[in-house]
Amino acid sequence: MTDSTKSIPFRASAAKAVRDRGLRAALQHATGVFTVKRADAFAGADLELWRNEASEIRVQVLSRLEDYLGRFTANATSAGAQIHRARDAAAAHDIIGSILRDHGIERVVKAKSMVSEEIHLNDYLSRIGITPVETDLGEYIIQIAGEHPSHIIVPAIHKDRRQVGTLFSEKLGCTYSEDPEALCKVAKHILREEFLSAKAGMSGANFMVADSGSIVLFSNEGNIRMCTTLPPLHIAVTSMEKIIPSLSDLPKFVRLLPRSATGQVLTSYMSVITGTRKPGEATGAQELHIVIVDNGRSLIVNSEYREMLKCIRCGACLNACPVYRTVGGHAYGSTYPGPMGIVYTALLEGMEKAHPLLDATTLCGACGDVCPVRVPLPALLRRLREERVERGLTPPSERFGMAAFGVAAKSPSLFQYGQRAAGLFWPLAVKMAGKEVLDRMPVPADRTFRGRMS
Amino acid sequence: MRNELVDTFVQNARKVAAEAFVVADDGELNRVLAQVLQPADRVYCPGVTNREKAVVFAPEQRCEDYRSATVCVEEVFAGVAETGSVVSSSGGGKAIQAGLVCAHHVAIVAQENVMESVADFFTQWGASPPTNITFETGPSRTADIELTLTIGVHGPGRLTVIVY
Amino acid sequence: MRVQLFGTCLIDTFYPETGEATVRLLRHFGVEVDYPRGQTCCGKPADSGGYRRESKKAAEHFLSVYGKSGDPIVVPSGSCASMIKNHYPELFKDDERLRDTARSVAARVYELSQFLVNVLRVHEAGLIGRGRITYHASCQLTRELGVTEEPLLLLQSLRGAEFIPLPDADRCCGFGGVFMAKLPEVSRALAGEKAQSVISTGADTLTGCDHGCLMNISSAIRENGSDVQVKHIAVVLAEGLQ
Repeated sequence: MTDSTKSIPFRASAAKAVRDRGLRAALQHATGVFTVKRADAFAGADLELWRNEASEIRVQVLSRLEDYLGRFTANATSAGAQIHRARDAAAAHDIIGSILRDHGIERVVKAKSMVSEEIHLNDYLSRIGITPVETDLGEYIIQIAGEHPSHIIVPAIHKDRRQVGTLFSEKLGCTYSEDPEALCKVAKHILREEFLSAKAGMSGANFMVADSGSIVLFSNEGNIRMCTTLPPLHIAVTSMEKIIPSLSDLPKFVRLLPRSATGQVLTSYMSVITGTRKPGEATGAQELHIVIVDNGRSLIVNSEYREMLKCIRCGACLNACPVYRTVGGHAYGSTYPGPMGIVYTALLEGMEKAHPLLDATTLCGACGDVCPVRVPLPALLRRLREERVERGLTPPSERFGMAAFGVAAKSPSLFQYGQRAAGLFWPLAVKMAGKEVLDRMPVPADRTFRGRMS
Repeated sequence: MRNELVDTFVQNARKVAAEAFVVADDGELNRVLAQVLQPADRVYCPGVTNREKAVVFAPEQRCEDYRSATVCVEEVFAGVAETGSVVSSSGGGKAIQAGLVCAHHVAIVAQENVMESVADFFTQWGASPPTNITFETGPSRTADIELTLTIGVHGPGRLTVIVY
Repeated sequence: MRVQLFGTCLIDTFYPETGEATVRLLRHFGVEVDYPRGQTCCGKPADSGGYRRESKKAAEHFLSVYGKSGDPIVVPSGSCASMIKNHYPELFKDDERLRDTARSVAARVYELSQFLVNVLRVHEAGLIGRGRITYHASCQLTRELGVTEEPLLLLQSLRGAEFIPLPDADRCCGFGGVFMAKLPEVSRALAGEKAQSVISTGADTLTGCDHGCLMNISSAIRENGSDVQVKHIAVVLAEGLQ
């Protein structure tokens, strides 16, 4: 992560990523596969209706978020869960740290959770002497490599099989192999021991269900089920907006989330967990803590950016984004990459840090088109650009140029003068703006269209 | 109607890489089991429901602790035709993690418990579902390395669905 | 029938022949073309850069130039047309004085291919074409204006030309207005991918409805050492008039 006071050096990171041929090939392959699979999965479906229905439910929840959270808290509590509200990352750290310490836990198996990435939970746990063991294969790869995820669904999307093979042989001491199946077996073997001996498991939650107090989790590998059913203590960390009114609303999201995320009709597993193990039951943690993280969201929900919180973290906008497809997630220098990541980073981490990311969009609109809950991403990105200008965070030369444009646009004669000047000074402009930009533009015509029309 | 539903369920289960069979009596059930189980398998079967009680296998194959079993044979709560999923519920004292830790999960679904859609399934619960409801749609899988599909990561690498 | 033509900055400054082709086409089909002398820019560059005040200035000027007539406004650019059609009403939604003008001007706007197909039915005129033509579906045209069929109908109607679909035709070419200047490395990479895709079709001509994108892709095509011609759809169609 970058220093919180400094702005993210997106252009430099992006330029570096563009030169990394291996990375670009991996990204092109992965995002291409996802795009095709998503399209196939929605073939024949009434997607626009599905999107409308899901969007309406999310809007309804966000308009009375605290009411829904209150209902969820009451119902989850009566089912045996303990609910904690964390205002920010530090509060979440304190809550989770004290639960684990109270139980004398030194090692915890973790399922993938982007919220735990957002609050840098692993760093915190390590600092207080607790070892987090990531169990999603992708997260496990990232953890032993000492990196951060570069995609919210496929964390190690930037690594090819040879890199994973080398990493495993170096860090785990196994024989080198680049066969995904063999690598998978190595991780499975190590992690099975972890699951069976774990005293505590951690997960995120894709949804909280207000009326039943349930949390809903989707996974393909089965590690989430392991983390949430084998250890006696389960801590789920999620963010406050991920709530739906009732179980009867869940199917409206079940049909959208896996299809949008991986092109599957349904992930291999979907668990609805309601409280703790009850008398006579043989499934479920003895103790379930649900940590609901705010971290700036209660401000967003009351702002003009509220609709961002409709997001269900499917990652479809990453796969559709021409910029993400080219530079990958690490270039963004933030927890969440891609179009949704730009908006979240600006809103959660502040404009001073995030403003260079606002350049990371062509406003092509592909993100808005694929969003299963109709987050108006292009409009939010455009609005954030306006805010950047309002707050004086664009370069002075650009502000000057735009001011001049504003004046000229009102005066045809000035405007023509500008055009003539551009033509006259073109060779000089090419020199000044750099070959990267103006070399790729044609030379102004000898006579403008306007001139030819008179 | 019921037959069509079962057909759809079986087809969709196969689409997600599960093996699927339809049986009409105990004899057929055991013939299918004999076909899918290996002699070296250690089998955990709760033996609680009538369909589970009908399961016959060699005594030396029986394994009381699901943690050391290779196969879990059990009747599950429901099937969902739309997605080809089998649904386990913690209701009735079931340890549904048994079907997770074994390398091979054999899920018996009563024909009358095959439902049309995920939406149909969730209309029944209202506000008080059991502690754990889990949809299982095909075997455990990952695509975390180069998006190459790999079957059987943490959960079962093999899922057999038997509609009875 | 009479229309008001909005020439757009890029055509005015860099591609006047596209403007001339547009006029020739419209006149050929019996349309009287009014070119308002006072026109400047629609404000799109400022708008996508986040300079709302400046884009509003340009928009106000546009409304003062085009607001008096009731004639259709034809724009040979998807992104400029979308700016006027979709963003103007939003820019002036709280402006009592100009709200109605912005809406009525927006309602009169046609992107060129839209006008040619839906009003003039040029795709039924049997124009002549030549060579193998492929088509880039630019972003604002496709996703903001929803114009997907019209350019294809026009190109597929050309007698003597072969239309070859471009794989992932509606994927962004990396132009993005200010994007090209802010992140030139990424822009160039995207244009490079688009150029490869164009070259792979074996077409000898790439066309489209937005000169911004065509300019970006054209430079990448040259960098690839290819001689694929890049022409605005107005030029391709006007060539068939002879």
